[in-house]
Amino acid sequence: MPRWGMTIDLSKCTGCASCMVACKVENNLPIQKPEVILQSRDISWMEILPMKEGEGFEGGHAEEHSDHEEPSRMRYLPRPCMHCDDPPCVKVCPVYATTLDKDGIVSQIYDRCIGCRYCTNNCPYTAKLFVWNTPEWPDEMMAGINPDVSVRPKGVVEKCTFCHHRLQRASEQAKAEGRPIKDGEFLPACLEVCPTQAILFGDLDDPSTPVARAAASPRAFRELEDLGTKPKVFYLKEDY
Amino acid sequence: MKEYGRFLWRCFRLSFVGDWRYYSWMLLLTVVALFGLNAYANQFVHGLITTGMTDQVSWGLYISNFTYLVGMAAAAVMLVIPVYIYKNKDLHDLVIFGELFAVASIIMCMLFVTVDLGRPDRFLHLMRLNLPTSMLAWDVIVLNGYLFLNLHICGYLIFCSYKRRKPTRKFYIPFVFIAIVWAISIHTVTAFLLVGIGGRPFWNNPIIVPRFIASAFSAGPAFIILTLQVIRRSSSYKVTDEALGLLRTIVTIALTINQFLLISELFTELYANTAHSISLQYLLFGLGDKNDLVGWIWPAMIFNTIALVLLYIPRSTTMMRTNVACVLLIVGIWIEKGMGLIIPAFVPTPIGEVVEYTPTGNEILITLGIWATGLLIYTIFVRITIPVLSGELTYDRVYRTEEEVLPDPISHPKGE
Repeated sequence: MPRWGMTIDLSKCTGCASCMVACKVENNLPIQKPEVILQSRDISWMEILPMKEGEGFEGGHAEEHSDHEEPSRMRYLPRPCMHCDDPPCVKVCPVYATTLDKDGIVSQIYDRCIGCRYCTNNCPYTAKLFVWNTPEWPDEMMAGINPDVSVRPKGVVEKCTFCHHRLQRASEQAKAEGRPIKDGEFLPACLEVCPTQAILFGDLDDPSTPVARAAASPRAFRELEDLGTKPKVFYLKEDY
Repeated sequence: MKEYGRFLWRCFRLSFVGDWRYYSWMLLLTVVALFGLNAYANQFVHGLITTGMTDQVSWGLYISNFTYLVGMAAAAVMLVIPVYIYKNKDLHDLVIFGELFAVASIIMCMLFVTVDLGRPDRFLHLMRLNLPTSMLAWDVIVLNGYLFLNLHICGYLIFCSYKRRKPTRKFYIPFVFIAIVWAISIHTVTAFLLVGIGGRPFWNNPIIVPRFIASAFSAGPAFIILTLQVIRRSSSYKVTDEALGLLRTIVTIALTINQFLLISELFTELYANTAHSISLQYLLFGLGDKNDLVGWIWPAMIFNTIALVLLYIPRSTTMMRTNVACVLLIVGIWIEKGMGLIIPAFVPTPIGEVVEYTPTGNEILITLGIWATGLLIYTIFVRITIPVLSGELTYDRVYRTEEEVLPDPISHPKGE
């Protein structure tokens, strides 16, 4: 069985946020009011975290810089769920609402979740997000709701699923044809829309796949590796 | 069984009987509790958007009060150990007030957890717990277990007294000893719930666990000291100076240990000044213009230090200094083991986001409502227990206040 993973090439990412938009549309994420977004309660499974070189996030804790220093360069860090191989969220959930599937995807069972937010606290990547209010869409957008993805009620935790519904569709197709699912047959929405092709996705266990080769490159690193969560999302450093 | 039902019914009626001070106190608590209930209805309809919590700070005032009250509940053991292990006579008749406070505290804890849940309607999902890995699952078990242990011990002893019967030791002594260990476990498990989170260095620190217990063992008995003095003044129930003195000694020792561990924690984190100390720096000094908790934590540390100094001055006959110290340390530890423990762990997040947390009015109303409910329950417990334990209310005797206010509570008592 493949072990699905992703690489994101930071030298190619321009921070255009089309991956964020595609993810929102594909996975039925609600359109929040501006005040809710300012309150830090927006739900973005794929989030572009802007940061200046040598500093934390914008609005985050920044080191003091004197005036005569060169102005910093902006960088962007797209952050989906890391789908850790040792996911800290799974072990703390009191009701088995989040699990590590055999194909390496960390799934969230919305119908089991009681909304205690213990998993969101134990996720070091702020990738698990709580639904603070009843999701709403403008009337014009209701026709665009994706029927393959459930709409989550208020009060549960949700997260990036690597577009798991697409995996299901591809798996069923492969099963109908009596063969195992192959690398490239299933791609998440964020990858499809990336204009610079910064995102690769596929089977990390097959060394011949582009994603496995990228993940093995000396440029590859994983976020907060010291915590031992073994994320399956690899970043590629800028190549200078 | 019928007799037990009648006992509960008489207790229920008795809880509506008292002087004007009792009525005023109960009225106040009921009003606040109802305001809290109304605020919760609002939260239930609109979701947790009515709170100040965010994606980055996803536990707030509710869980802060929860962690504090778990400590208050565990503190009953500081009365149980002297009585049942060291056979202390002074505290013997008072230990039940500690156990009843544990029951009220656990009920408050459960209410705080319930209001914090996004989907409280799914509480039945807790029937299949993720054991042994989830500390929250363990917490559900230990808190419920502690509640039932204390309900059984208190209920049995009070009912025996009501029946004017000597309690059978085998029906409660084993449970008392289990409850001693269990009390330590509820606090330990709640501390493990936090310290097990590897990505948040403010919590991922072994000193949190002993500090939890030391602070609990000072704030809990301090509350009992104040309660016992109210009982002494408002009833004829015997509360000796020696009993209060022993509790005072317990508070002094526990607070000394707590302050020592605090110094040890501050030194370790601030002297080395690594990236791990950034949450503590936020708590104590703020990060840039983000400094919401600074104005809370310093008064808390000063309150606790003043309380410690007051407790080391020999006790006066009026208990004035002890009472001031108790109030100061109850407030000080509420800040330190509440918001001071929960919020800084989220600021900054492991990936560096800095988002501050301020509770909303609705959240504060719910919190006050739960406190009022807990105190209401505890007041009723104490109201009922005093006449039963002092022999004024038994199965074959009409309590004088009942006679004045209520029409004939025992029309056909058995055995007469």
